[in-house]
Amino acid sequence: MKKSGLVGFIVFIFLLSACSQGQSQQSNPNDLSWDEIKQQADGTTVNIHMWGGDEGINQYMDEWVAPRLKEQYNITLERVPMDTQNILQKLQSEKQAGKKDGTIDIVWVNGENFKNAKENGLLYGPFRDQLPNFNDYYDQDSLAFQYDFGTPTEGYEAPWGKVQFVFQYDSNKISNPPKSFDELQSWINENPGKFTYPNPDDFSGNAFLRQLLYATVDDPKEIIEEPFSNEYATKKAEPMWEYLRTIKPDLWRNGEHYPASLTELDRLYSQGDVWMTMGYNEARAEHLIEQGVFPESTRSFVMEPGSLGNTHFLAIPFNSSNKSGAMAAINFLLSPDAQYKKLEPTYWGDNTPISVDKLPEEQQKKFESLDRGETVLSTERLENSFLPEADSGYVEWIKENWKDEIIRNQ
Amino acid sequence: MQYKPRMKTASFWFLTGSLFLFPVLFLIVKSFTLPWRYQADFHMHFTLRGWSTLLSENQLISATFISLLIGAVVVLLNLIIGLSAGKALAFYQFKGKSIMDTLFLLPLIFPLLAIAMGVHIAMIRLGLADSWIGVVLIHLVPTIPYSIKILRNGYVSLGSAMLEQSTSLGANVRSRFLTIELPLLKPALRSTIFLTFVISLSQYVITAIIGGGNVVTLAMVYFPFLQSASSTVLAAFSIWFALVPILFYLIVEIILCFLPYQSPWRIKT
Repeated sequence: MKKSGLVGFIVFIFLLSACSQGQSQQSNPNDLSWDEIKQQADGTTVNIHMWGGDEGINQYMDEWVAPRLKEQYNITLERVPMDTQNILQKLQSEKQAGKKDGTIDIVWVNGENFKNAKENGLLYGPFRDQLPNFNDYYDQDSLAFQYDFGTPTEGYEAPWGKVQFVFQYDSNKISNPPKSFDELQSWINENPGKFTYPNPDDFSGNAFLRQLLYATVDDPKEIIEEPFSNEYATKKAEPMWEYLRTIKPDLWRNGEHYPASLTELDRLYSQGDVWMTMGYNEARAEHLIEQGVFPESTRSFVMEPGSLGNTHFLAIPFNSSNKSGAMAAINFLLSPDAQYKKLEPTYWGDNTPISVDKLPEEQQKKFESLDRGETVLSTERLENSFLPEADSGYVEWIKENWKDEIIRNQ
Repeated sequence: MQYKPRMKTASFWFLTGSLFLFPVLFLIVKSFTLPWRYQADFHMHFTLRGWSTLLSENQLISATFISLLIGAVVVLLNLIIGLSAGKALAFYQFKGKSIMDTLFLLPLIFPLLAIAMGVHIAMIRLGLADSWIGVVLIHLVPTIPYSIKILRNGYVSLGSAMLEQSTSLGANVRSRFLTIELPLLKPALRSTIFLTFVISLSQYVITAIIGGGNVVTLAMVYFPFLQSASSTVLAAFSIWFALVPILFYLIVEIILCFLPYQSPWRIKT
């Protein structure tokens, strides 16, 4: 009796597995015209897998994008919360197992993740240059779209937004925020325990150190233009480690403990334990003030020599079973209307990579007159301080060496 | 040293209060107030924002039901496997029993992620990846070792004498199981059910990999919010997350009442 039960169970599982296979394959959208792609996308469902830890972003996708995409393209958008690394892990396994009909149609990537995905052949493409909105409203030759942390994009991802690294401070406690890293150093010295930065394993902590690296070499171009190598990095980074060792005793908890993530630093800031925080999104304070996390007197600042900025992108996995639908949806997300709504502080406040001067006049005005909120620096200020990211090799290198240089070498 | 009963009660309430009641109450208060700034004003600002954000998360309800369903199936499979394996380990002697015993514990020793990644490829080939059945199967990995251990100990303390006697009095396997084993194993069953359900509920990474985002359980919605700095939303979400096992526990208690000899009006002799 027991054996027949087991056999039955196995047969049952195989029957179930048979049901999930046998989906029809679409023809490759590479050879199709845009009208044909739109036609193919009509009435389909598109699954976008993306990080889901920000309610502003989630609401933008669910409440604003999804209904309009349904209306304009007759596409049902399903948002699935999932960390990018898990998504890539899944795609990697699917590639190995030869699974052709994947369940992910759009992923949100940049930097290291894009590099890994592209090198391992996890992405479909090139598709970017087929998108009408990209061709009409974006600067085709912009270096920000050609390279993603030094990796050539080659049309495998389409720019969705851009962000710049800014610092936040409480204007009730600090009247003149530092203008350069030297001034920051003396400020830390005068206000011991009121500053810290996240561990460089964290995305934002790592960006803080990359920015410091730019500031401690003679000219940021030395880092941006030179391809990454261990020897070069070791040589150039010595002043940075020196700087960090100098400020260490005056950091929060005497530099014996660092926040493990930006979230932790934000909590310290929101409780008034430290007086500055930072983050890779120039408009982030708006949202956090509205939620009551940050005090209303929060303002932001950037320092010399400038502020790191990067673009984030949308890409299509190699085994998406609805590539036409994905392209139509990405085209919609790149449209001026969707970009404008994304820029508004209501939901997200994320900056747009669109070229405003390519838009029709009416929309140009709309974009230019938009008030992003009091805590966001002016467009001019941000553009003047913009510094591109260097080779993504620095990210890993900083992670590995920071522990040796700062934690172990007491 | 002898404890006075009153001292015992006092220390019980002190420990319960400080280690259990206070954190729970604190969490509830937190879910209704804005984050506190200790150095500025110490006022609490009442807000419903945490709960409204939580309830506007449009996958919340469906994710809760999927979690309950998956958890229930995982618990059921655990009981079937745990009862049979536990009984065998408790009563039968066979070659390699101790090796078998160790093997059953291995899933707890190996990193779960490594297992999941290996199993994922096999599941894709079988067509089980991206389905809730695949998720149920992978949830068995971190739960089965516990249920086998717990139910095995349950059978050991039950002893074989009672079961042998019922057989000699003519009971068949079925009625012996229903009227003797299940009622007497009730404490062990209860811990198995609760433990396996909670483990299944809180699996994030393996659910994400095997379910591939098609199976959106509560953990899939909840875990990304851990990175949000808004402690109000997080507190509301955590309470919701804790309510699910409590709800499940209540359902299980009601079902357990239907076991033989459980009627509260039964005359105990």
